[in-house]
Amino acid sequence: MATVLERLSALGAAAQATVPGVYAWGVTVAPAAWAHGSSVVAKVASVLALLALAGGVAGERRWGGTARIYSLWGFVLACALTWSATPAAFAPLRIDAPRGIAGMIGWGLFALASAAPALQGRREEERITDDQPLRPRKGLVRGDALYLAFGALAAGLLQLFGWRVATPERALLVRFVGLAAGLGIIGAATEVALARHKKRVARPTMRRLRRAMYLLVALGLLGMTGLLFAFRA
Amino acid sequence: MQFADFLALGLVLLAAASFYMGESALTGAEDLHALYWLVVGIVALRAAVQVARPAEKA
Repeated sequence: MATVLERLSALGAAAQATVPGVYAWGVTVAPAAWAHGSSVVAKVASVLALLALAGGVAGERRWGGTARIYSLWGFVLACALTWSATPAAFAPLRIDAPRGIAGMIGWGLFALASAAPALQGRREEERITDDQPLRPRKGLVRGDALYLAFGALAAGLLQLFGWRVATPERALLVRFVGLAAGLGIIGAATEVALARHKKRVARPTMRRLRRAMYLLVALGLLGMTGLLFAFRA
Repeated sequence: MQFADFLALGLVLLAAASFYMGESALTGAEDLHALYWLVVGIVALRAAVQVARPAEKA
């Protein structure tokens, strides 16, 4: 196992991105291209996608980063062509949640491997200097992890919606809104956690509330509007 | 922790609950309800961040 990993790390970034690329292809592209009744265009495009990946590995040794860019775009565009040629394969009733999640993970890993620099092999022993471990400039205050965990949990819960919506457009909209809302919650939870460590001045509460007053008033008005509509209905 | 910190936390919780309701309404094709809850969520998040920021010196 260690030998395989060492060999993989000795290859370039395009070769390393091939592993998650083939996985993403296997989960999301191949089933669509080789489904019953799919067109020839879809099959040819899916094979071209694989060839683009392989071409990136071969071309990276000769042309370096340029080959990687062409390989990436060739792979993504060929996959997009496959999906465009088989729209019926992506009807919500034909995609189950585990496959959808596996596909998301595969494409996420492929994006990460394509964008990040290539992993290096084990460093030479003589270049590593044994020294005292570096001290962090500032320790994390207890409780920050709780804020972040809450944000991540809330963002995760929002991803549970929309997996069984019949219309593809609405399913996509629900996914998009869920992702945006999740990111917003994580961002806000992080800001609230970080704000606790900043220096404070005397009697700050009224000043802080005054600064957010227009938003609090807007929130109150929205709440009252909601109550009015709820009682009218 | 000061009162404003608790308020900020409460507003983040309110935002999370609003987004939850909004997504639920969006899934059920109740667009007006979804829009309402999403707007409430956005305003609550923004208010939470504003309240959480420490006061500047006068």
